[in-house]
Amino acid sequence: MSVIQVQQLSKQFRTRVSSQQKTAWLTKLFRPQYRSIDAVKQVSFSVEEGEVVAFLGPNGAGKSTTIKMLTGILQPSGGSSTVLGFDPAKQRRQLAWQIGSVFGQRSQLWFHLPPADSFRLLGAIYELEPSVLARRTAELVERFALQDYFDVAVRKLSLGQRIRCEIAASLLHKPRLLFLDEPTIGLDVVARREIRSLLSELNSVEKVTVFITSHDMGDIAKVCKRAIIIHHGEVVVDESMKDLKHRALAKKYVGVRYQEPVQFSTGGLQPLKATDRSASFEIDTRQHSLPELVRRLSGLGELEDITIEDEPLENVIADIYAARSEQAARNVTAGGRAKDAAAKSAGSGKEAAGADNGRTTGSGESQAAGGLS
Amino acid sequence: MITEKKKQTTLRRNSLGSYLRFMAMAFRINVKSVLEYRVNFMLQFFGMMLNNAAFAAFWAVLIERTGGVGGYGFADIMFVWGFVSSGFGLAHIVFGNIRGLSRIAIEGGLDVYLLQPKDPWLNLLASRTIVSAWGDFVYGFIIMLLLPGIGIERWLIFLSLLVPSALLFSAIFSAAESLCFFMGNSSSISSAISEFLLTFSLYPEGVHAGWYKWILYSLIPSAYIAFVPLHVFQSLSWPLVPLLWGIAIVYILLARLLFRQGLRRYESGNRMDARI
Amino acid sequence: MSTLRMRLRAAGAAAAIGLKDKLAYRINFGGTMLTYALFVFVFSRIWASSLGDSSIAGYNYSMMVWYFIVAEIPLFALGRFFWTLSRDMKSGQVAYQLSRPYDFVAYQFWERIGSALPDLLILMLEGLLIGLLLTGGFPPALAAVGPPDIAAASTGLAGTAAAATGVAAWLRLLFVPLSLLLSGIVNFYLQFALSMTAFWLEENEAFFWIFQKIALVVGTLLPIEFLPEAAQRIVVWTPFPYIAYAPARIMTAFELSGALRLIAGQLLWAVIGLALARLVFRAGSRKIAVNGG
Repeated sequence: MSVIQVQQLSKQFRTRVSSQQKTAWLTKLFRPQYRSIDAVKQVSFSVEEGEVVAFLGPNGAGKSTTIKMLTGILQPSGGSSTVLGFDPAKQRRQLAWQIGSVFGQRSQLWFHLPPADSFRLLGAIYELEPSVLARRTAELVERFALQDYFDVAVRKLSLGQRIRCEIAASLLHKPRLLFLDEPTIGLDVVARREIRSLLSELNSVEKVTVFITSHDMGDIAKVCKRAIIIHHGEVVVDESMKDLKHRALAKKYVGVRYQEPVQFSTGGLQPLKATDRSASFEIDTRQHSLPELVRRLSGLGELEDITIEDEPLENVIADIYAARSEQAARNVTAGGRAKDAAAKSAGSGKEAAGADNGRTTGSGESQAAGGLS
Repeated sequence: MITEKKKQTTLRRNSLGSYLRFMAMAFRINVKSVLEYRVNFMLQFFGMMLNNAAFAAFWAVLIERTGGVGGYGFADIMFVWGFVSSGFGLAHIVFGNIRGLSRIAIEGGLDVYLLQPKDPWLNLLASRTIVSAWGDFVYGFIIMLLLPGIGIERWLIFLSLLVPSALLFSAIFSAAESLCFFMGNSSSISSAISEFLLTFSLYPEGVHAGWYKWILYSLIPSAYIAFVPLHVFQSLSWPLVPLLWGIAIVYILLARLLFRQGLRRYESGNRMDARI
Repeated sequence: MSTLRMRLRAAGAAAAIGLKDKLAYRINFGGTMLTYALFVFVFSRIWASSLGDSSIAGYNYSMMVWYFIVAEIPLFALGRFFWTLSRDMKSGQVAYQLSRPYDFVAYQFWERIGSALPDLLILMLEGLLIGLLLTGGFPPALAAVGPPDIAAASTGLAGTAAAATGVAAWLRLLFVPLSLLLSGIVNFYLQFALSMTAFWLEENEAFFWIFQKIALVVGTLLPIEFLPEAAQRIVVWTPFPYIAYAPARIMTAFELSGALRLIAGQLLWAVIGLALARLVFRAGSRKIAVNGG
């Protein structure tokens, strides 16, 4: 069963343009100029019950705007969405009973009071019976290990402790769907890891569907099973985490260091960096054989060290973004031409890009195309 | 299954009782946060008393010299100050966010309330208390105790009119703050409206000239906050009590309507450059 | 000589910073202007209804309105040094500035006075406008001011005397801004001394409240002459009459010897205030040096 269904969802913001002229205030008063910004452009996707989905994108990509439309905070400019069978734009309050949310920057806890008090007030807001509330609170306090600071004013808590309380609070009314907007923003490594493991556990124990926005790759790689990547308001990738990781695995970084200076000859593969005793290579395993390369390298001289690394997920996504931007730029130049002509120009553009930036861009582009189809 | 869910919804959710429980809980938490800041509270309380005492001294000196201002004697002035002070205090105790509404909206802080299944306007307003308001609130009671010859009936009038007075304050403050949805940064206008309402309420009706008095019965309803209550208090005209309640309810409903109209323009901090 | 010039330059720069800071927040000041106008208006109604054509303690309606217009200016334009100073104290700004190689008290003085000057100027103009609208003219003591009679000056001794009174009448008008400025200086040093108690006390607002409320009753809302005689005898020994009463009295009932006496009193309290401010500040910063902030 689909928990979230989004079709062609769009959001435009109108902002006043302020000019730098001396008389700007005059024109502003009488003829304000507006500029619309497409924050979200015809986004479509769906989320199934029980999934943990990552909603990724750089700052300003439209993540928060989308999540705000799905929770009914913002009215969409176009398209439609259904969340748990409700239309968030029209049935925000009915929907609110069934969802929980943590917006990293906005606290639902009272700053000057201990979390315990906020939980009591939330109990009243979600109309939980006192006995139910007490049982549920105890359960969450234990699961999130809040015992030590449940009676300490929120202003005295660390950010990590506060976020734990926020997430626990958002689960008080047993929501079927949990929205997390940048839950780990500003957290240190340890707190981040704790929150991640809590989220994984949560999904399996509470059977709650989780929808996370983040720009931290670590968050999603550990917790999520599926990723939707949004860029400039459009969905550029929607696939399982496994596939996304597979892309990352397709590319390897190999670093070698020798005891003595050697002559590098690796069959056409140019090193990214090289000194007389060390070098690093980037290889696409779909084009080159990794064992073959390692064998060649070890044959060159006495190895001191060899490292083989996967491509960081950040890079994979950065490639996709880069490819998208390029394609968008090409679409502008190719606008109005016949289809095959556009395709041809796209082909030549690809070659040029490949020559410029090496394989990174080229392979990224083909992946982006795959993601789009 | 759907019908069952629907039934549950209509039976239990967002009933009057649940709102009362919510408000009671919010109030309890408000009191607790006041106790959390005991020293601050005492200071604010003391400061309020001092401020009011300064003005009481002013009126004492003035009325000693003139024998009365705008038809008010010293006892009348003191009643108005005490009553307005308590009504103003009550509004800020129960609806502590009333003066912060526009700032919260501009910073995108309404999100939290929109995500919860209670009325966002009520939820927002009730989610804070102003510590110094307790000083204002108590001041009226102290005045009532000090004024000579206050019988049970006058106490009842005082108490029965506090709620409409607080509602009227809340309505005007909320409406003034809601202007931010329509005109961006409205803090100057909002605070001016609030200042006008309070100032006009604290001084005798008789000093005002006819050409602008109608404003005090409409846009800046000081009449219903201070002038009419004083009349009711003096002449024990009980029939005016339900009338004042009715007027206050109309004002508060209009204020809520204005907020809801404005909420449609809410952009969750996206438009706002005023973030601090 | 050159150190004096350097000092003046530093003072000028400090005042300019305060001024610029203020101009950036000029929109906020619109609210203050509105509240000031509202206060003056409501009180003018009170005087209109309670005085009519009569007068109390020598003040008639027109004088009372002018009195109030001038007396409120120190409250609105010069009355808030304490808050900004306290805020800077608590946020650690002051501790940071202590390490700078200039005279802290003097720097603060110039910066705050600099930032208060535009407010003072704007409120004076606004007050002038409101006063003319409400009373239809200047208070009698100043209304006599005519153009100085230069022609008469050349016709002998009597003419010189007449011209002198003409010029003196014009000079009277300058007494009011001068007295307001002195009021600002007295206000600053006293509030500075009060705010520096934050070196010892976390919550020192209570001192300021008491100060402000006494100032309100003594001279701001009502002329000193309205107070009971016993109270009048006491308050003349305090600085409070020299904050709001002095400029307002000069405005409403000008009389040269009285005006000079008030100005002298203001100067005296400015000096006492400065001494007090330096004393409290030195004791406080020594405490910081000992305890390490």
